[in-house]
Amino acid sequence: MSAVLQAPVVPKTRSMKRDKRRALFWSYFFLIVFVIFFLTPPIYMFITSLKSSAEVGAVTNPWWVYHPTLENYKALIFSEDYQTFFLNSAMVSVIVVIVTMLISIPAAFALARMKFWGSSTLAMGVFLTYLIPETLLFIPLFKIFAWVNETFDIQLINHWWVCAIIYPTLTVPFCTWIMIGYFASIPKELDEAALIDGAGYLQMLTKIFIPVALPGIIAATIFAFTVSWADFLYPLAFTTSADQMLLPTGIYSTLIKGDVYAWGQIMTACLLGALPPLLIYAFLMDYYIAGLTAGATKG
Amino acid sequence: MSGQSQRRKFLKTAAATSAALAFPYIRTSYAAGSLAVAFWDHWVPGANNTLTKLCQDWAKKEKVDIKIDYITSQGNKDQLTIVAEAQARSGHDILQHPAWFAQTYAKQLEPVDDVMNPLIKKYGKVASAAEFLAKSKGHWIAVPAVTGTQVKPPLVRLDLFKKVGIDILEMYPVNKEPTKAADKWNWELMLSAAEKLKKEGHPIGLGFGQTTDSIDWVGAMFHSFGADMVNEKGDILIKKNDAVKQVLEYAQRLAAVMPQDVFAWDDASNNKYIISGQGSMIMNPPSAYAVAKRDNPDIAKHLYEIPYPTGPKGRFAGYLPYLWGTWNFSKNKSAAKSLLSHLLQRESVEQLVTASIGYDVPSFESMRDFKVWSEVEPPKGVVYHYPPRKDQTTWVACAPAPASMAQQMYTQAIMTKMIARCTTGGDSINKTIDWAASELEGYQRS
Amino acid sequence: MRRHGGLRRFARRKSTIAFLMALPLIALIAALVVYPTLYAIYLAMLNKSLERFVGFSNFTFLFTRETFWMVVKQSCIFAISAVIFKALIGFCVAHFVHNVPAKGQRKWRGMLLIPWVIPPAMSTLGWFWLLDPSYSAFNWLFVRLGIPSVSWLGDPNWARFSVILVNVWYGAPFFLIMYLAALKSVPEQLYEAAAIDGANWWQKIWYVTLPMMRNIISITVLFSLIVTFANFDIVRILTSGGPIDRTHVFATWAFLVGINGGDIALGAAVSLFMFPILAVAAYFILRDISRRGNEA
Repeated sequence: MSAVLQAPVVPKTRSMKRDKRRALFWSYFFLIVFVIFFLTPPIYMFITSLKSSAEVGAVTNPWWVYHPTLENYKALIFSEDYQTFFLNSAMVSVIVVIVTMLISIPAAFALARMKFWGSSTLAMGVFLTYLIPETLLFIPLFKIFAWVNETFDIQLINHWWVCAIIYPTLTVPFCTWIMIGYFASIPKELDEAALIDGAGYLQMLTKIFIPVALPGIIAATIFAFTVSWADFLYPLAFTTSADQMLLPTGIYSTLIKGDVYAWGQIMTACLLGALPPLLIYAFLMDYYIAGLTAGATKG
Repeated sequence: MSGQSQRRKFLKTAAATSAALAFPYIRTSYAAGSLAVAFWDHWVPGANNTLTKLCQDWAKKEKVDIKIDYITSQGNKDQLTIVAEAQARSGHDILQHPAWFAQTYAKQLEPVDDVMNPLIKKYGKVASAAEFLAKSKGHWIAVPAVTGTQVKPPLVRLDLFKKVGIDILEMYPVNKEPTKAADKWNWELMLSAAEKLKKEGHPIGLGFGQTTDSIDWVGAMFHSFGADMVNEKGDILIKKNDAVKQVLEYAQRLAAVMPQDVFAWDDASNNKYIISGQGSMIMNPPSAYAVAKRDNPDIAKHLYEIPYPTGPKGRFAGYLPYLWGTWNFSKNKSAAKSLLSHLLQRESVEQLVTASIGYDVPSFESMRDFKVWSEVEPPKGVVYHYPPRKDQTTWVACAPAPASMAQQMYTQAIMTKMIARCTTGGDSINKTIDWAASELEGYQRS
Repeated sequence: MRRHGGLRRFARRKSTIAFLMALPLIALIAALVVYPTLYAIYLAMLNKSLERFVGFSNFTFLFTRETFWMVVKQSCIFAISAVIFKALIGFCVAHFVHNVPAKGQRKWRGMLLIPWVIPPAMSTLGWFWLLDPSYSAFNWLFVRLGIPSVSWLGDPNWARFSVILVNVWYGAPFFLIMYLAALKSVPEQLYEAAAIDGANWWQKIWYVTLPMMRNIISITVLFSLIVTFANFDIVRILTSGGPIDRTHVFATWAFLVGINGGDIALGAAVSLFMFPILAVAAYFILRDISRRGNEA
């Protein structure tokens, strides 16, 4: 350390420039290395998706497509099962997003602005729900299903919409958390002004808070959508019929046909299945990132 | 309560009608109604279609609104479904249970004596292993399923075995009974062939994974060495039984001449291994052959199913019976029973077995004479030796342990895990046996 | 006096409205999280057929199981090593992105975040195919480079490596994004001041960047630790816990015991063991949250 401090001062600017250029070179070098690491699986999935089963089964260069074909894409887009998975997933995700917003926006508003007895405990408790893993919950959920079935004669198991009921437990806490942060950052003078103008709390929320916190709401929406699009454990445990499955489990349980080289199709299914979150992210990347970093940067 | 009254009504009508006609009462008293059934997703391409057609014809005739699901055993999705529905007390009216599962859920399954007894009267005895798994406290709790019930014998490459000096056809000739030469087909001969085949660049590939394909054949091998680990009463014999050591030593030698990843194989890996032309032998029903015939016919024409190698205690074929069971919380038990009975008629069974190119092994022993087994080709006689005949005994892995323990041994794949431990896992055989003994004690939990 | 009463009534009304607004949230969490959790605790104290109350004997039974301790060990190895690598890679790559000219950053950031955006169940299937026993594309390269091929999912140690690798691949971008946001919030003057003091690159990181980012690093690591610890999909799809249970973590083992094995009570007990470890995480998060609350 002392050696560094005693370094001669004269050639500093030139060496700094050289240092900077060298740092830039190595930055680019490592960025390329990591981009290769991060993108290898999706690229390999794309390569495989262009292959016929015969080419997948033949032991040829796996990194190259000799006879590119769009068969897999065609087969899946017109496959009734796959359309069903997609539709089910889409419906679940949309319902979950709406439900999540309806629950978490008013709750966040109440928790951020209008204190009531136990509100600060609740704000903490909401986040703590993430400490309870899904693996613990699905077992008692089965018992609850059995109870619902016996009391109300409603069969919950093996219906895609059961996921729409359960997923909010995964999305609401984090979305509420994001929203509390956003609402808290809105200056208190605004609501005082609104109150003086005679606005009610509901008006205050819809006229002031929601418009001002819109970026946060978009971020929370994206978050809720991606979570419900991606979850695997609940649909794996709760749905069995092909027409009730969601995308991740549908691909996993129906397309892996064992001894058939359907890998081209499986990879295609995964890529197409990853498309909605990828598209959202491509267009709304900054909101997405804002959502991810919401809690952290303010801490 | 309603189940009981339904059954009484059922018995009355069943007694009144001839055994050949299946349950006409449905049309009169319980017309329509809906039925959700879930069958095993068949590995032989196209085999599901025949079952679908049989069910739909039945449904049309009985005016039942039927919904059929095919549930794959890949990733143990079928086992998962059974447990989920048993816990949620709702789901399908008929569900397919592999091996030990019906025993485990016996309390929640509707007795089906009224389906089985007339059938037995008509077709005779059911294979004893299937009967053992389908009966609880003297009652049938499920019927032996047609689709999926299978043995897992060697599927060999004739050309490659010939190359290393073993003429399979000399032992197991085309469409004929095994010859005297077949007596020498034992585990030692298989191992010596495996050593040579490895040098040829086409090692044999027998799974040591944790799914049914691996468990079933390893179970048969253990028993053929006499390496039973638990007796009927649930006593743990593993430490007293020297045969366990012998079978593990044999497995060590076998593992050395097989691909390293057999320990990670699932039910698909062995199929892929032989279809791709890399392997010279796997333990599998003819589904691998059926797919090879479609996707890689050059390989398929050299494939041939043969019985198990024999061991110190005899020749045992790894057997995986599936059962069709009806939940006692099902809302349409009578229709479910009627469908089950329809599917088990000889005519239905023959259609199903033929559609599966002989993959499905009928549980009624009188039905093991269908023509399909000598008709499938090329090569001629490829599946003739597939259904177990006199020279082999079918064996369900983990028997003769009591059901509650056997179920755990089966789902935890204790035998293949033991092999993996003393080979790739690097443990000694004694340490492996200690580990297994402690696991078995854990399975005694009730 | 009258005015006072009116205010009080107003306050009461305000809190009532607030409570009503938060009610759906409370109902959701109570019905689908709190109640099932309590139920799980109750289930974990029943016998296998769920007919008899057995107190803590499921837990003591687990203590005698070798496999259980292996799962504990593996879950810790899995979570800790994955989080360390995610944090390291995220930290380094965040710096590389931060170093390049601002107008190119968006592009790099976009590409690097892709693993985090693809649903893990789907990307893991891609990895599964990359690591397939007979068709591994990596092994194909290895053979051509003269390196012996690797049994990625067949050899216990390689299987552990693969599971961690996939988790790192999936989770590192999250760290990257968090750190990048944090790096941007470090005032440039601090670095200038450090440069004037003659600090080198390493010293700048150690004395400026790390202290400024401490909060974010701890939150991110904790959050990731919770998620990784409870991870299910990656292990389930890649190895199902095999070979010889050497890649089982709490979630997959609980699933195997509770669902495939049909022992609901024991499965619940296994899952409950995640609590003590997560509770430690909870403590730190609570502390952080209250700190944040004080600032607000």
